[in-house]
Amino acid sequence: MLLWIGVIIIIIVVFLLLIYFGYYNRIIRLENRIDNSWAQIDVQLKRRADLIPNLMETVKGYMKHEKEVLENVTKARSALMKAKSPQENIDADNMLTGALKSLFAVAENYPDLKANQNFLNLQDELTNTENKVAYSRQHFNDSVLSYNNLVETIPGKWFAGFMNKKTRDMLQIPEASREVPKVKF
Amino acid sequence: MENKLLIEDHIKKNKRQTILICGLMALLFILVVFFLGYIFFGGNIFISLAFALPIAFGYIAITYSVSVSAVLSAAKARPANSQIREEKLLIHRVEEMAIAAGLPMPKVYVQDSEYINAFATGKDPKDSVICVTTGALKKLNQEELEGVIAHEMSHIKNYDVRLATITIAVVGAIALMSEILFYSMFWGGAGRGRKGEGGAILLLLAIVFVILAPIFARLTYLAISRRREYLADSNGAYLTRNPEGLAKALEKIKQDHPREKPKGSKTVAPLYISNPFRRIDASSLGSTHPPIDERIKRLRSM
Repeated sequence: MLLWIGVIIIIIVVFLLLIYFGYYNRIIRLENRIDNSWAQIDVQLKRRADLIPNLMETVKGYMKHEKEVLENVTKARSALMKAKSPQENIDADNMLTGALKSLFAVAENYPDLKANQNFLNLQDELTNTENKVAYSRQHFNDSVLSYNNLVETIPGKWFAGFMNKKTRDMLQIPEASREVPKVKF
Repeated sequence: MENKLLIEDHIKKNKRQTILICGLMALLFILVVFFLGYIFFGGNIFISLAFALPIAFGYIAITYSVSVSAVLSAAKARPANSQIREEKLLIHRVEEMAIAAGLPMPKVYVQDSEYINAFATGKDPKDSVICVTTGALKKLNQEELEGVIAHEMSHIKNYDVRLATITIAVVGAIALMSEILFYSMFWGGAGRGRKGEGGAILLLLAIVFVILAPIFARLTYLAISRRREYLADSNGAYLTRNPEGLAKALEKIKQDHPREKPKGSKTVAPLYISNPFRRIDASSLGSTHPPIDERIKRLRSM
């Protein structure tokens, strides 16, 4: 009799352990996916910041009377370079997106600039990195959602509590930038 | 939130379906080869098996391993050239969609054709190819191109490309085997199996089976392929959060009637976003894709 109770207890413990291992792995995997998505955003933001000096160099010769527009871009870039937390990064990047948008709008008035091969190339590259930032942000939020769903619902909640894992924050997209279409072609 | 969960369920279901179809196809194939062995070796099951299995698995393994380059060369595709602006922008859109889907970057190819079309191929998401026609690059704007790429990226993510690759390999193998059978019958070497009534009936059965098997294999695949087009449409729209891009692209595909004849091989038709031979075979049972109007309607109702 005692032997049977012992066997049943062992079976239950092994069973619970297996479930715990399953949840442990899922939680860790989703966490890694979030970190990896963030690394992806970071790479794109850096690449974007690196493109700006080139763009300024190209534009400078043509745009003599657009000091303010150019300054805004430079300011947004240095904010991006200084940003530390994910949210600061995203905010600075939104600022940069806005500043670049007005720069490209103003560029319409300079036919010579618009015909410049280098400028066209940079415009394509910047659109590309902007879209990449937007999509990696989307993927980041998707990943956070999957993770939060797992650690907030039962029984994932119990295991997450045991592992001392808390929900993660999604990246907030400010109202202003929500009005413009995410992908601008 | 619901959408996301649904998609993951769909992917699981797709994987199960893939295994089921692969099992069914493998069974069909082994039966075909077995009948073939029967005709050659006079009903000795062990010799038949010893003969059939290596050929079956050998053929499928070889076809599977060369499938990507075979499909690309059948389509006469070439790697996208980043020096040409249109193709550079294509690479950009693919990079973006790979990020949105959280997949590694596929290789990007271009097919010289006036038709608006695109396809994805590969064995798994880590090793895949997206190919777009030059017609699509000329006629679609960036938003529409993005929708098309998102659709192809979803095929990769849903393991549809792997299924298509395996199906093409197996259907090809079955077709090859029926050819061998016909040759052997004319050649006369098939006589040894025919001993008495039972042998004759089995032989007849074998012949009918070998003829029907490739058709059956193809129909099974097509039924599922059509359902997966809808799924790739909706998953693609989920990636871009913009169903209108793909809907507009499909509208342009519908209006697209270049004079040039469609290129490539019919075997790879299920891979494309819209069937390149659609004006030639119109039968609904044999079509690889659902009607384009229905696809547009579903996208617009999202």
